[in-house]
Amino acid sequence: MTTRPLPPVLPTPLPPWHQARGLSRITRELVDHLLPWDLGDFRHHTLVQIGSTLLAGAATLVWWLAASGQTRGLVVIAWWLAWSAMETWVRCLNKPYVKEGPWWGRQLRPAGVMDMICYVGFKNLLLGSALFLTLKALGWLHV
Amino acid sequence: MANAISLLRHFLSRACLLSLLRLACVLFPCWGQDAALAAAYEAPLPPELHDSPRLCDYVPCQEVIPGADSFSERRGRPPYVEAYRQNGGSRQLLGYVFLSTDIVDIPAYSGKPVVTLIGMDTQGHFTGAKVLKHSEPILLLGIPESALVHFIGQYTGHFVGERLEIGSAPDGQGLDAISGATVTVIAQNQVMLRSAAEVAKQVGILQPKIRPAARFTTPDHLPDWAELVQTGAVQRLTVSSTDVGRAPTAQPYIDLWFGNLNAPAVGRAILGDMNYGRLMADLKPGEQAIFIIGNGLESFKGSGFVRGGIYDRLKVDQDDDAFTFRDTDYQNLYTVAAKGAPPYHESGIFILRSPAFSAAYPWTLAFLGNRADQETGAKTFASFEQEYWLPAQYLEGGRPQVTRREATWVKVWRDKAWELAGFVVLLAWVVLAYGNRDRLTRASRREQKWPVNAFKYSAWVVSILFVGFHAKAQPSITQVLTWFHSVVYQWKWALFLSDPFIFLFWIFIIVTVLVWGRGLFCGWLCPFGSLSELLFKLGGRLGLKRWQRQIQKPWLDRLKWVKYGIFWGLLAISFFSMSLAEQLAEIEPFKTTFLVGLFQRSWPYTLFAGGLLGLSLFVERPFCKILCPLGAALAMPTTFRWFGLRRKAECGPCTACARGCGAQAIDASGRIDSRECLLCLDCMVLYHDDHACPPLAQERKRREKAGLPLTPIGRDGYFIPLVVAPAEPGPKSGGARS
Repeated sequence: MTTRPLPPVLPTPLPPWHQARGLSRITRELVDHLLPWDLGDFRHHTLVQIGSTLLAGAATLVWWLAASGQTRGLVVIAWWLAWSAMETWVRCLNKPYVKEGPWWGRQLRPAGVMDMICYVGFKNLLLGSALFLTLKALGWLHV
Repeated sequence: MANAISLLRHFLSRACLLSLLRLACVLFPCWGQDAALAAAYEAPLPPELHDSPRLCDYVPCQEVIPGADSFSERRGRPPYVEAYRQNGGSRQLLGYVFLSTDIVDIPAYSGKPVVTLIGMDTQGHFTGAKVLKHSEPILLLGIPESALVHFIGQYTGHFVGERLEIGSAPDGQGLDAISGATVTVIAQNQVMLRSAAEVAKQVGILQPKIRPAARFTTPDHLPDWAELVQTGAVQRLTVSSTDVGRAPTAQPYIDLWFGNLNAPAVGRAILGDMNYGRLMADLKPGEQAIFIIGNGLESFKGSGFVRGGIYDRLKVDQDDDAFTFRDTDYQNLYTVAAKGAPPYHESGIFILRSPAFSAAYPWTLAFLGNRADQETGAKTFASFEQEYWLPAQYLEGGRPQVTRREATWVKVWRDKAWELAGFVVLLAWVVLAYGNRDRLTRASRREQKWPVNAFKYSAWVVSILFVGFHAKAQPSITQVLTWFHSVVYQWKWALFLSDPFIFLFWIFIIVTVLVWGRGLFCGWLCPFGSLSELLFKLGGRLGLKRWQRQIQKPWLDRLKWVKYGIFWGLLAISFFSMSLAEQLAEIEPFKTTFLVGLFQRSWPYTLFAGGLLGLSLFVERPFCKILCPLGAALAMPTTFRWFGLRRKAECGPCTACARGCGAQAIDASGRIDSRECLLCLDCMVLYHDDHACPPLAQERKRREKAGLPLTPIGRDGYFIPLVVAPAEPGPKSGGARS
């Protein structure tokens, strides 16, 4: 997490997927957006592995329950909020950067806590809305 | 989880809210006036109101038909009540009383209907109307409820067949609208006219429109079920349990297939040749038959036909004419002959006997039910409809020309076309100006910013006067909450299109927030923000400069989080009680300033809005910086705006821009916080000003002292470097600098 003031002309750390091209880059960037953990750190901490796997499993389970019509919409929203809070915390520790400039660009900048809240909140709002609307359209989720 | 939600719902319930309002009335007597006047807001209505035959035992029918002293039971379909006056020894029929929600299902701005009791005399003139219940938040704490009372009072004395329009009506009678509640009054106008027209037709005051009868083609083949469905000769109407406010179920609440039987191709396919022949032989000239087969949890026949011979769950509408069915209009349908027809557990043939009905024109089958409110459990009338229009190949000469009824939002857009065009020009003007910011800021100097400010100040003035005070198009956090709810519950384009200024404004806001950040709206076009900053500038010009202060940066860095807390709080509350969230959204002084007027509301609102505007004379945009929940909602996606403002490496130690930043969005390290930046462009003027930007001024002086030329300033904010040209061979050796 960045605690010092950020410099005015921001450094542009290279993204983990900066050398990839085409479909490979898109896939790796997608993984970067979906997984809050840094895979390097992830491999070295058993506790983090177990906790993270459980949490990811729980979040997936809630969406699966929603898809099978066994969970109401507000429960899914509450779960998604809880997941987003955890993702913000994990990202602040593991991936403390957000994209700077156009979304299709490659520039990143160090992220403060509010940057991360906004990033996770906005990203998960888009993801959640897409999943939510899809399940509703298929008639699997009721509010 | 469910218990926690239930507990929270309890605490946020209407009773709790009313207790808080009562407490507020004691503490702030004048503040209570608005709430006290809002007697019909979410008023509890007796459950018997919707189905008891004795309607007038539960509502004050005398108030809407003066002089009446007795009332009949509900009769007719849709139901109405006859009002009588004792005249000597006999009873004189004075007119009719009816409940709007018995007849039409037209939601107002809140998405819920305004429950209205309407009186009409025997000649078809309105005698009065009373709002029993509404859910319009703007009428709770924004516009006084008396405005709605005044609005419906305008109908008294008018004939039901008159063309009554909101505002000026070139070929009809104009009604005064309620400023700031356009959607509510347009919906209410439809409620009044359509309810009264339906009753007036039943009692013979208005005659139904006679349409040319359909002439059917002779089929060359009999379609199977799939073809009937594919061509639209058979239609489906499905209502889910959640549509009627019940818990979700695997089976739909009702699932109907229906179609016209007179058209030989359809009738013979559904009934078979023999049964079709029998049915046609039974029908008198001009009569039409339709079939319905149904599945689901409920019966489409209901139980009304057992008691009173009326099928009270079905209705056919054609334009403004409604057709209902009695037991004498019903025949059994034992089997569906068409191959591939779905299984069903209920079926019937219904006969339309009125010559007003024509199978050549589109009509609608309506399933009439009740919808339970999820918050209160109260039931309201609901109509679920599906249009049917016989395919062209089954009609001689094809389908006739039909002029469709105009949607409410289309009328609003058409009526305001010129104003909307002006608004679009304003938005385009601002985008054009900001898109050319590089040119404008280069043409400006720190002491002479008119190239930028001419655009910005003119946008402010137009925004305040035209957008704010005239069009009342101040975007609000309540609209963001409505979006969230629409995504979760039900998205209705018509609701958003009903306010065209706000609709266009939000398209502009979403696009510009993603491209440049929230500053273009907040800093250039928000009516309240513009008014606030304009007051600050005027205050400075009028001699208040010596008292004008900036909030100390360390304090502002803490206080700015308040607005995010307000936003998240309102969003969370809205999922438990939208009406409470809308009331708490009064933290925005927008309604008081633009929608209602500073001096049209009780003193706490006036004091709050006036206090913020007064404070704006001394502090730049205090509301925007600390309290605005809409600003907070827009600030979050601003984190990912595509194109930010430029910075130089020296911006860190140098604080020239930061000291001049009115939004105080530049931190000690020289970084611009895009979430707080209002894109005033003052820092960009400095960025290009070689007399004001310290690194530029230093370089300028160095070059002037050295006699070097001043090259243009590049996009990076520095003079374009001087390039040393290679020495040319000549009689003397040496080089020159270009």
